[in-house]
Amino acid sequence: MARVYVSSVINARSDRVWARIRDFNGLPNWHPAIAESRIENGEPADKIGCVRDFRLRNGDRIRERLLGLSDHDLFCTYSILESPMGVVNYVATLRLTPVTDGERTFAEWTAEFDCAPEREAELVSNIGGGVFQGGFDSLKRAFGG
Amino acid sequence: MPRVVKSTIIDAPVDRVWAVLRDFNGHDRWHPAVASSAIERGAPPDRVGCVRRFRLKDGAELREQLLTLSDLEQCFSYCLLDTPIPLFNYVAHVRLMPVTDGDRSFWGWESRFTTRAGEEAQMTEMVGEQIYQAGFDAIRRHLAS
Repeated sequence: MARVYVSSVINARSDRVWARIRDFNGLPNWHPAIAESRIENGEPADKIGCVRDFRLRNGDRIRERLLGLSDHDLFCTYSILESPMGVVNYVATLRLTPVTDGERTFAEWTAEFDCAPEREAELVSNIGGGVFQGGFDSLKRAFGG
Repeated sequence: MPRVVKSTIIDAPVDRVWAVLRDFNGHDRWHPAVASSAIERGAPPDRVGCVRRFRLKDGAELREQLLTLSDLEQCFSYCLLDTPIPLFNYVAHVRLMPVTDGDRSFWGWESRFTTRAGEEAQMTEMVGEQIYQAGFDAIRRHLAS
């Protein structure tokens, strides 16, 4: 099983960062790779089990199911149902932790998945360095560094 | 039951911070409140269950027992056995996580305890500021020196 771990520090209180990322249908509002998103069957975006169907700027379509969401512990866990990436058993978690020393936020994004062995290094690099770090870079810009 | 949660970002790789923190007998080398430290009965300081005896700068003595130590998770926990200050049922947890964005470290330090009625706020402030936050600042200086 392949694992991805990417973490960063956002220069804002964790409740402000959380308000920006908790919307499971809101990726286009903050992630530069995502063009559009909708929740299937008109369900609320914070209903556990809901499915988001989104399109990347490169045209790829991905469907993901919300597995867990906590306004108390500030995390969101989801799985991939369909994607062109060639991954199975893909589960990811985006988690925020307050940094009390300076009103910052420690942000972690992890994923585990199975894939063809020869594709693992490339997928880990694309998901971690591209998707996850790209999202953090965008949040850092949005909150001033 | 009062709970103290403090965290910071240290501008050093996580293995370097862990090398300092994991020494349960080494806090006298960096924490400003600790004058000397010894492990009772000649036990190794990374033996779970060992007891450290601190003499504080103000002359007070306290004993703490190592409950958990993990080089994999880079965390440890400990409890207070004897203390001249009214901290009872005190259990503390320290954990490090890598900040992959910039090769830095997230350091969380938290505890729960009971105390005498009416002294909750004072003890919470003392633990959070004079022990945890002062420890963060001291490690920062220690690693820079």
